[in-house]
Amino acid sequence: MTVKFFHFIDNIESFICRSLLAIFVCLLFAQILSREIFGYSIAWSEELSTYMFVWFVYFGASYAARLSAHNRVTFQFKKLSKKAVNYIEGIADLFWIAFNVYFVYLSFNFVFFKMNLFWKSQTLGVPMKYIYVILPLAFTLMTIRIIQVNYLKLVKGIDIRDPDKQDVQKMMEEGGGASTQKS
Amino acid sequence: MESTIVLILFGAFLVLLVLGAPITVALGVSALISFLYLGENPIKFVQIAFTSVGSFPLMALPAFILAGALMEAAGISRRLVHVAESFAGPFTGGISAATVFACLFFGAISGSGPATTAAVGMLMIPAMIDRGYNKGIASAITASSGSLGIIIPPSIPMVIFGISALGMQPPPEAVEKYGVFQSVSIPKLFIAGVLPGLLIAGSLLVMNYIICRRHGYRGSAEGFSGRNIACTLYKGFWALLAPLVILGGIYSGFFTPTEAAIVAIFYTLLIGFFVYRELSFKDLARSLETTTWLTGRVLLILFTATVFGRLLVENQIPAIIAEAMLSATDNIYIIWAMLIFFLLFVGMFMETLATILILTPVLLPIAYNLGIDPVHFGVVMVCALGIGFQTPPLGENLFIASGISNISIEEISVRALPFALINTIAIFLIAFFPDIVLWLPRAFGY
Repeated sequence: MTVKFFHFIDNIESFICRSLLAIFVCLLFAQILSREIFGYSIAWSEELSTYMFVWFVYFGASYAARLSAHNRVTFQFKKLSKKAVNYIEGIADLFWIAFNVYFVYLSFNFVFFKMNLFWKSQTLGVPMKYIYVILPLAFTLMTIRIIQVNYLKLVKGIDIRDPDKQDVQKMMEEGGGASTQKS
Repeated sequence: MESTIVLILFGAFLVLLVLGAPITVALGVSALISFLYLGENPIKFVQIAFTSVGSFPLMALPAFILAGALMEAAGISRRLVHVAESFAGPFTGGISAATVFACLFFGAISGSGPATTAAVGMLMIPAMIDRGYNKGIASAITASSGSLGIIIPPSIPMVIFGISALGMQPPPEAVEKYGVFQSVSIPKLFIAGVLPGLLIAGSLLVMNYIICRRHGYRGSAEGFSGRNIACTLYKGFWALLAPLVILGGIYSGFFTPTEAAIVAIFYTLLIGFFVYRELSFKDLARSLETTTWLTGRVLLILFTATVFGRLLVENQIPAIIAEAMLSATDNIYIIWAMLIFFLLFVGMFMETLATILILTPVLLPIAYNLGIDPVHFGVVMVCALGIGFQTPPLGENLFIASGISNISIEEISVRALPFALINTIAIFLIAFFPDIVLWLPRAFGY
């Protein structure tokens, strides 16, 4: 039970994002159908899907941080050992954390002290404040993820690889099998 | 004043990149330092974080990524490759020419170069090796034609370029000098990419013919089989319909690019679940997940690159670079050559979408100041960065081709050089003759 729970927490952004993506894709499809078939355009669907998209993007960015998928330029590290690279990237990540902390401070301040409830979205009428909440929320989560990834890499010594490279690796195994079979 | 800000902005950016910080962090931190140095209110960061991402056309990005991932899982890509393979027939270098055509087809549904290489390469590289091709040559051809995936529409890099360019007005002094520029839109870019994509495919076919002749790769003995073609066409009917639905919908103006991608997603789900029955809920969940992190990482760069770009424009930096270039030479061909070599160079080291997000705010105003059409510029930029996929050290296509064929990346890169060379020549033609890009959109009345 607890294992399951931790697995859920560890992938929470992924669950949220997949749901958001599925919902706004369906919403846009419903909009196309209703326009083309019934000649009726749902006024609020574009706005709602755009806001869901923004939430999807920033939770997705946090999930990408958990997967250590954010692109870095790495060709200068070719001669160094894996461990040394991990430490250098860990130091570079301190800048990331500093940036995020400052950004969370800025956006928290903006959302809770500068934005009032009268600034509402155009068709939904929801105060923009509640939609902007994603910024402090997602950047806080992302910061936690960066610390988590560096902890796993540097302290626990777990190899976390960019999913791009994992894909290539997987393909190498499958492809290698396929080509030996054929020839 | 301006030179200090350039020093801070680019200096901090490069230091962080070399230190191995993620690209988005290098952009964000250097922009933040410059903001604080200039004494500007950093609250702009918060507003840009929301407005840069919260745009409706941008939703085309996750939609196309999802559509591509689903088509792969649903078996649509595989059937497209079989159709191309059946046409190979008795020609010299026929099967490798079919690889180019397969990439052309697949490029019309997928927006990504590596995805194209993987989907086509898995089937075609073993097929070519079967027919006695050198493994290195077979991999090089696939890696080189994989770049077609990002030029033939729908193209994810073009969506990204379109989004970056939408927010940028041509500077008034450029308008005064060269007249009004046409506006940029994603459908227009998609139409503009067709002829250049065909030209590059043609150049690959020429090089392929030369190489295959020299190595004596003849066509198959069984000859041209009409029956075989009819059979694959029949089996691939629903798959072939997919590019038609997407592109037809966009070009006829029936759908916006975002809507076309959404329709493609539901079309693929329908075909994958009920007609081909190859799609499972597990595939669906995996496709959704891939879309999540890919979109998240690209669009976080969009946010920081927008702040970075705005700083550049506010400080007139692109205009200064353009002036410097013009004072060195006013020959537009030499300027194009400088731009193309710069893009080829950057494309070797950086991920394509990140490069477009970073360089568009710098280079597009320069292009405006030189009187270059924005759509023309965008297509040349995407084509030039596409070559980066097939050159080391960061050639995703090479990694994938090498993974499939078990040939070292070094050998494939050497074999891919002639293709990269002829591609570069094609790009120069596209740059020097703007009508290759601009004629088709004009004919469509955009």
